[in-house]
Amino acid sequence: MATMKFYCDAERCIECNACVTACKNEHDIPWGVNRRRVVTIKDGEQGERSLSVACMHCSDAPCAAVCPVDCFYTTGDGIVLHDKDICIGCGYCFYACPFGAPQFPESSAFSSRGKMDKCTFCAGGPEDDHSSEEYKKYGRNRLSEGKLPLCAEMCSTKALLAGDADVLSDIYRKRIINRGASAFDWGVNFNNTKIQG
Amino acid sequence: MRIHTLIMMVCLVLSVFQVQAADPSVDPPPPPESLLSINPGSELWREVRQRDGVVEGISQVKSPGANVLVNVSGQSWREYRMQELVPIAGAAILIVLVIIAIFRLLRGRIMLENGRSGVKILRFTTSQRAAHWTTAILFVTLGLTGLILLLGRKFLIPLFGAEGFSNIAVAAKFLHDYLGPVFMLALTWLFVLFVRDNIPSPKLDLQWLLKGGGLFGKHASAGRYNAGEKLWFWLATIVGLAVIISGMVLDFPIFGQARATMEFYHWVHSVSAIILIVVSFGHIYMGTAALEATFEVMKTGYCDANWAKEHHDLWYEKVKDSNESAPQSQAQANTDTGQRESADSAY
Amino acid sequence: MKKLIKSSSSVDKSKVARPCKSVPGAISRRTFLRNSSLMAGGAALATTVSPVMMKKADAAVAAGGKIEQVKTICTHCSVGCGIIAEVQNGVWTGQEPAFDHPFNKGAHCAKGASIREHGHGPRRLKYPTKLVDGKWKKISWDEAINEIGDKMLEIRDKSGPDSVFWLGSAKHSNEQAYLFRKFAAMWGTNNVDHQARICHSTTVAGVANTWGYGAMTNSYNDIHHSKAILLIGSNPTEAHPVALQHIFKAKEENNAPVIVIDPRFTRTAAHANHYLKIRPGTDVAIIWGMMWHIFENGWEDKEFIRQRVYGMDDVMKEVKKWNPAEVERVSGVPEDQVYAATKAMADNRPGTFIWCMGGTQHTIGNNNTRAYCAFQLALGNMGVSGGGANIFRGHDNVQGATDLGVLSNTLPGYYGLSAGSWKHWSRVWDLDYEWIKGQFDSGSYEQSKGKDVPVMNTKGIPVSRWIDGVLEDKANIAQKDNLRAMFFWGHAPNSQTRGVEQKKAMEKLEMMVIVDPYPTASAVMPDRKDGIYLLPASTQMETYGSVTASNRSFQWRSKVIEPLFESLPDQTIMYKLAKKLGLADQLFKNIKVNGEEPLVEDILREINRGMWTIGYTGQSPERLKKHQENWGTFDYDTLKAEGGPADGDYYGLPWPSWGPPEMNHPGTPNLYDTSKNVADGGLTFRARFGVERNGTNLLAEGSYGKGSDIKDGYPEFSADVLKKLGWWDDLTAAEKKAAEGKNWKTDLSGGIQRVAIKHGCSPFGNAKARAMVWTFPDPVPIHREPLYTSRRDLVEKYPTYEDRKSFWRLPTRYKSIQATDFSKDYPIILTSGRLVEYEGGGDETRSNAWLAELQQDMFVEIHPRDANNAGIKDGDDVWVEGAEKAKVKVKAMVTRRVGSGVAFMPFHFAGHMQGENLLDKYPEGAAPYILGEAANTAFTYGYDSVTQMQESKCSLCRITKA
Repeated sequence: MATMKFYCDAERCIECNACVTACKNEHDIPWGVNRRRVVTIKDGEQGERSLSVACMHCSDAPCAAVCPVDCFYTTGDGIVLHDKDICIGCGYCFYACPFGAPQFPESSAFSSRGKMDKCTFCAGGPEDDHSSEEYKKYGRNRLSEGKLPLCAEMCSTKALLAGDADVLSDIYRKRIINRGASAFDWGVNFNNTKIQG
Repeated sequence: MRIHTLIMMVCLVLSVFQVQAADPSVDPPPPPESLLSINPGSELWREVRQRDGVVEGISQVKSPGANVLVNVSGQSWREYRMQELVPIAGAAILIVLVIIAIFRLLRGRIMLENGRSGVKILRFTTSQRAAHWTTAILFVTLGLTGLILLLGRKFLIPLFGAEGFSNIAVAAKFLHDYLGPVFMLALTWLFVLFVRDNIPSPKLDLQWLLKGGGLFGKHASAGRYNAGEKLWFWLATIVGLAVIISGMVLDFPIFGQARATMEFYHWVHSVSAIILIVVSFGHIYMGTAALEATFEVMKTGYCDANWAKEHHDLWYEKVKDSNESAPQSQAQANTDTGQRESADSAY
Repeated sequence: MKKLIKSSSSVDKSKVARPCKSVPGAISRRTFLRNSSLMAGGAALATTVSPVMMKKADAAVAAGGKIEQVKTICTHCSVGCGIIAEVQNGVWTGQEPAFDHPFNKGAHCAKGASIREHGHGPRRLKYPTKLVDGKWKKISWDEAINEIGDKMLEIRDKSGPDSVFWLGSAKHSNEQAYLFRKFAAMWGTNNVDHQARICHSTTVAGVANTWGYGAMTNSYNDIHHSKAILLIGSNPTEAHPVALQHIFKAKEENNAPVIVIDPRFTRTAAHANHYLKIRPGTDVAIIWGMMWHIFENGWEDKEFIRQRVYGMDDVMKEVKKWNPAEVERVSGVPEDQVYAATKAMADNRPGTFIWCMGGTQHTIGNNNTRAYCAFQLALGNMGVSGGGANIFRGHDNVQGATDLGVLSNTLPGYYGLSAGSWKHWSRVWDLDYEWIKGQFDSGSYEQSKGKDVPVMNTKGIPVSRWIDGVLEDKANIAQKDNLRAMFFWGHAPNSQTRGVEQKKAMEKLEMMVIVDPYPTASAVMPDRKDGIYLLPASTQMETYGSVTASNRSFQWRSKVIEPLFESLPDQTIMYKLAKKLGLADQLFKNIKVNGEEPLVEDILREINRGMWTIGYTGQSPERLKKHQENWGTFDYDTLKAEGGPADGDYYGLPWPSWGPPEMNHPGTPNLYDTSKNVADGGLTFRARFGVERNGTNLLAEGSYGKGSDIKDGYPEFSADVLKKLGWWDDLTAAEKKAAEGKNWKTDLSGGIQRVAIKHGCSPFGNAKARAMVWTFPDPVPIHREPLYTSRRDLVEKYPTYEDRKSFWRLPTRYKSIQATDFSKDYPIILTSGRLVEYEGGGDETRSNAWLAELQQDMFVEIHPRDANNAGIKDGDDVWVEGAEKAKVKVKAMVTRRVGSGVAFMPFHFAGHMQGENLLDKYPEGAAPYILGEAANTAFTYGYDSVTQMQESKCSLCRITKA
């Protein structure tokens, strides 16, 4: 069975935020909740790179490990989903997640956060596929229609890839091969006086 | 169970003999000159892998922590909670209960040497009792709900199913989060009412401790509160303070706390809570079933004179002649000529 | 512990980001409709529009609606990304990636990915509104049109038609843009303009005067063939994100070095191989500095220059002055960097040259653009696939609106304003020339060659100067009276400079008519009690028509949803207004009108009948619709359809698509490419400037298109030329009748074009490109310091122009401003630019919650050194005061992205004015989610010497803590 993963090619990501708004669009996500975000490190300096980050659907998901009510599950495709009906909004998954994927609709006193929301790899949730319950709680279920997450499908430069890990690796490998010939010159080179032919 | 004990022991051992990871203070040798400007991509991935600590970038998304690329502390916290805290807490609770059971079996119930005298002495005022029971009930509720949230996944889901346990957990979280601040008030109240007589008297208290509190035969002198009670008081105060402060940080995530902050305070909260819980088992046992004629004291506020003589002889000396004795107590108890302490008053 | 395993049945997981054919029926039907409700909590303000008004936007609750897939084109930039909108029961419920579309392959940027918001848009202008005694009052369409029309007629009566300014839009569809220009002509004024003025007007003027047409010469897709890519004053990671898809392809597969020249280390620079940090306003210096290396090392393409370029010697003379030391002194870039970048372009040909506002928005914008052209000519990078001047236009249809003449200096198709031009269009419009002439003010306020020129033939006031049209003493304006009323038709005010004066001008106007899907800042900037009308226009998602992308391709948009609330498409609004003004019969003479909605296809057909100059003649509605139906048949690298119903066409029939539609010309994917036959999309440089000059041949020498019967240069084709060549009899009898006495631009039969092409010749001739434009203020581009410059030491050697008494009808100052030294009080160079989340004036995108959340604060980028000197920390509120004393209160972003002494502000915000929040002045429920100061409030006077482009890339300011 395929293992679904995301990969963001840092050499191509330009922080256009299409992945962010595509996700908001597809799942009608309210203000304040962002399943996906783009982080830019070394902003404004040589070596600046951007990466699109959302739930990475870890094989050994820390969120699933620490959840007090064990509301997470991993599908056969390796997608990590959770059940909002069981979630108690404690925030532990957010503490554990390296990528900050869990989002909460509120952040109030007495630790009231509301139900956790996160990237579902556009695979919906435990409700029936395409039911309005599923849509209201988890957003669209694209995977069951044979489609892939909209964030990756709409990425302006095809930096964000989503799909079977083997296929992703192949795509990325090809890119590395293309880039490899100029690896010695890669990146910003302010004082370059030796131009490769 | 055995596996858990094994894991717990291994954890304990490991935590004592920390396995050293690659020493971060020693840098790898610098790359040769000719390679220095090659492939800045490696620089990027070094940062992403957090070789030198958390990398903060910028993000147009302004959720808390959104600008952090990878939050490494989450992994250590996950390991702490799932591989240390859960097994150790479970084991500690069990072990302490077992120890208490063994103690009970060996020592049995500790009876009054001379039986009841029938004379009642006022020991706790109404407000003291109120403060104690309020705090106690809150403590038990908080402890129980906390343990449900910590250990429920392991033990209660098999019993109640996923949805059933979720409902329990929702209730537990609700109670825990709202009663926490109330507990802060209650413990403060309790502290204020009990602190004066819990100030340590070093010589007396040490002697009492060295004599094992009189549990194993020899009589140990004590004032109003013995060293054991004082220890419990101060433990509850200090560790209680830790559990409260950390709890407040966790309960009000509205001040932009970073995840690492929450994880740290969770560690403080969990360690102090477990300590308090297991020691509270001792306190509860001591205050209820361990000794004869003890539970009624905090229940009614009055203690038997013989009980006072046996367990708090110095305090008994002070108050036996006081007007505050209960009306029905006319009988003269044997009084030792103990040193009279300077005027103290629990009233 | 048992985990719930969710089984995903029958899913082919091997599909990864490959083109996915959306076959209706194969995809399971969604049996629910989107809940198109919006945000809960957070900063969102609840709409207060009554339920009746909202009914069109509410999601229909009925389940089981059939999903219709509608193809349209994004409205946010000139890349022209394909969109597949999913509509159920008339409600826009989803977007799918348009994997088949040759430009974007399903990709979008943040704006395109969130465009479905146009389908519910609660912050839209919902009904016609009028400002009455300081309050917004709902009125009916008829009331609005009546009152507006009456006022217009009153003004016309007293002051003449030139007192109404028709500010049109780069977001019109082609048909709407054409209609708008025609409407202004019917009204009798040339005071009609749009965003191109402040965007690429200097490009169009500079480039057209270099080699004939002023448009992007190749295409985004053609960049796949580039071996080197140079970008100056262009930041596509923010402004044209999907263009990066193509740039990266070249970078990765061709190992093309990417060179970025920009005062800021932009996100584009972060992906470049070479980054040259120039002082804002020193484009000519850096380009001539690079040319210096080209000529020093003999890297120029001598054969190409000999055959196809005129005046390169003059350029060489100027370039010689730009040795490395002088280049560094003026621009700040050291020799080794300039040399390396130049060598990268020289060694890797064909290379493409990209520029945007960073190069165009200067007082010497036309010099900059011509310098860029000269660079490409010198390297022989023109007319080849992978080379070219790839000018990235801005708004989605700024190319179309420019081509269709929503400009004060021309009629549609760049025909100009001469009598001949008016006569041509009169014939196309099937109207009496004299009648049109009679619509204009009969006076004359300008002279040319000693003769009075009628106002009909003089350039109107451009949008960049409209405020002076209002505020300037009318005696100094070359028309009868000041501007008294103004249409802001799809054009925001905060993209123009001098915001404080703009406010004054708005207050002086007697009537402002804002026709827009959103109120825009025009509604709130002025302190007025009345005289403002807001007419709700539909977006392009609520109507249909064609749009021209930056690469000159036409794209057909289908209607996604019905107009929301009480909005109407532009063409319908124009019909209503024309009817009121008594101009409907003329405006729509050969255009069918259904009820009140003009037939879009008829408008395009009229365009096809008249726009011979740039080959807008072959793109009929039928051909364009066919292209829309067959996106997937067009090749990603060449844009050519191989097989399928559009076999042989280039996607969108990029203009020029010569001759009438029946001639079936495939379009011209890369301009000036002589390796192809003109009939297959090849082209030569246009013979626009004469046949010879001072004894030098201006026609091409030994260079000609493939299959050309004339194996040398030739002039533009006319009836006489055909006769001379003996090709006259190739025309049919009907064609001869029409073509007699005409030329390739005015022959309405298209016969001259057809015959020329039949013989393998470009209808517009085969000439040399001019590196030296003798009609311009600076024939050879030279560097001049900006009006507001911090380098007073350079002003003497590189001064600006002399003041002009009347330029585009207005006094225009240069030297008198530069004479003052502002650099002590305003030491920091101020520049501006874009953010990916917002577009243009920003009211539309800031009304989209999904976008607005990502950019919530207006800010200024300030270097740590300048911040420390001023005691400013990151996130502080600061005042940015421009050199004309206007100031804006924004947040400080301390970053090394800008150099020390340079500050940057994005220009998309509006709704605050010099520290005051104008939220309360918006009509209820129609304010954007995010407001902020307009950067251009602080920007200053300064206009290009040919086109009146505003100088918004280099001014001066000071920044202090608030």
